[in-house]
Amino acid sequence: MSDNLEHSFVKQLQENQNIIHKICRLYTNGEDAHKDLFQEITIQLWKAFPKFRGDSKFSTWAYRVALNTAITLYRKTKRSINTIEFEGRQHFLKDVEYDYEEEEQLKLMYKAVYQLNDIEKALIFMYLEDKDYQEISETLGISEVNARVKMNRIKGKLKKILNPLGI
Amino acid sequence: MKELDLLKKDWQKNENSFEQVSEIEIYKMIHKKSSSIVKWILIISILEVLLWSCLSLCFDSDGYLKNIQHSELIGYFELLNYANYAVILIFIYSFYKRYKVISTIATTKQLMQDILKTRKTVQYYVWYNLGMLVFSLIVGFIIAFAYNPEMDTFKQQINSSAKIMAITIGVLSILSIALFGLLWLFYRVLYGTLLRRLYANYKELKKIDL
Repeated sequence: MSDNLEHSFVKQLQENQNIIHKICRLYTNGEDAHKDLFQEITIQLWKAFPKFRGDSKFSTWAYRVALNTAITLYRKTKRSINTIEFEGRQHFLKDVEYDYEEEEQLKLMYKAVYQLNDIEKALIFMYLEDKDYQEISETLGISEVNARVKMNRIKGKLKKILNPLGI
Repeated sequence: MKELDLLKKDWQKNENSFEQVSEIEIYKMIHKKSSSIVKWILIISILEVLLWSCLSLCFDSDGYLKNIQHSELIGYFELLNYANYAVILIFIYSFYKRYKVISTIATTKQLMQDILKTRKTVQYYVWYNLGMLVFSLIVGFIIAFAYNPEMDTFKQQINSSAKIMAITIGVLSILSIALFGLLWLFYRVLYGTLLRRLYANYKELKKIDL
């Protein structure tokens, strides 16, 4: 493949790398696994890049390939331990003005999201990214109505994880 | 759900908190080898085809038939061999086609389907070979009993006692079943570890779309 193509790819990926980081954050635990998945997604994006026509935005295209890699192609090397990873999230909160109750709620929320399965995580991820149901359905290959139904179920599931007794 | 809104706000606020990977590092990454399951399926599948093809090539049926002085059967075996080559070729072609279809820009569901279908193609090939193995065993036994002069004394023994006959059939059956079981277990372990997560996710996606 030509150097030009390579250069254009690297530049666009570098600018859009946060998409990949966010997916890695959701699907892996710990720094090593994060780097590992990041690399695999980068390789898959590069392999698919010649087919990228530019009729959609690079980021839209990257979402799909990256999610597909995380859910389908990636082989987890180690078993995930959710709680250890979770502590590492603390530093995200340092700039936020301190609201202890809110912080506590956020912590629980992140913990709950980590307990979801791979597909549920994908739906939540796109919800957090402000994607509409049409894009969710087109990415995963399910109908829009069913994506909506599933999203509501996931919300219910999260509620249950947060408040198992239903008080 | 207000907790989810809170999470969304926090998620988007932290958008830029990741340690950035430099362009040089990305250059390095794209020249590294992928370790995706598709790659593993490809490697294992090629090994499988090689192994089974070798096995069928290594077996010298002509020599055996000449040895027992029944060369007239060689023609049938040649025919069987050609049929076997044809099946291998058809299989390799369809596997290659399936493999080529796999694309990360498909929808998640489609991608999973394509991977599972590619895997299935190899599985059919393996079952075909196992079937051929059993078929060859049966033909082998029949030829040995019917044509091999070395078996004459053994044949007389079997004919004279129902017990020996039962034991012979029993031993042969147990051997065949054990061989089958071993292979089955091997495949379960091999592909079980490789595809467990993919299967689970595929089922989950299909469940949503029911």
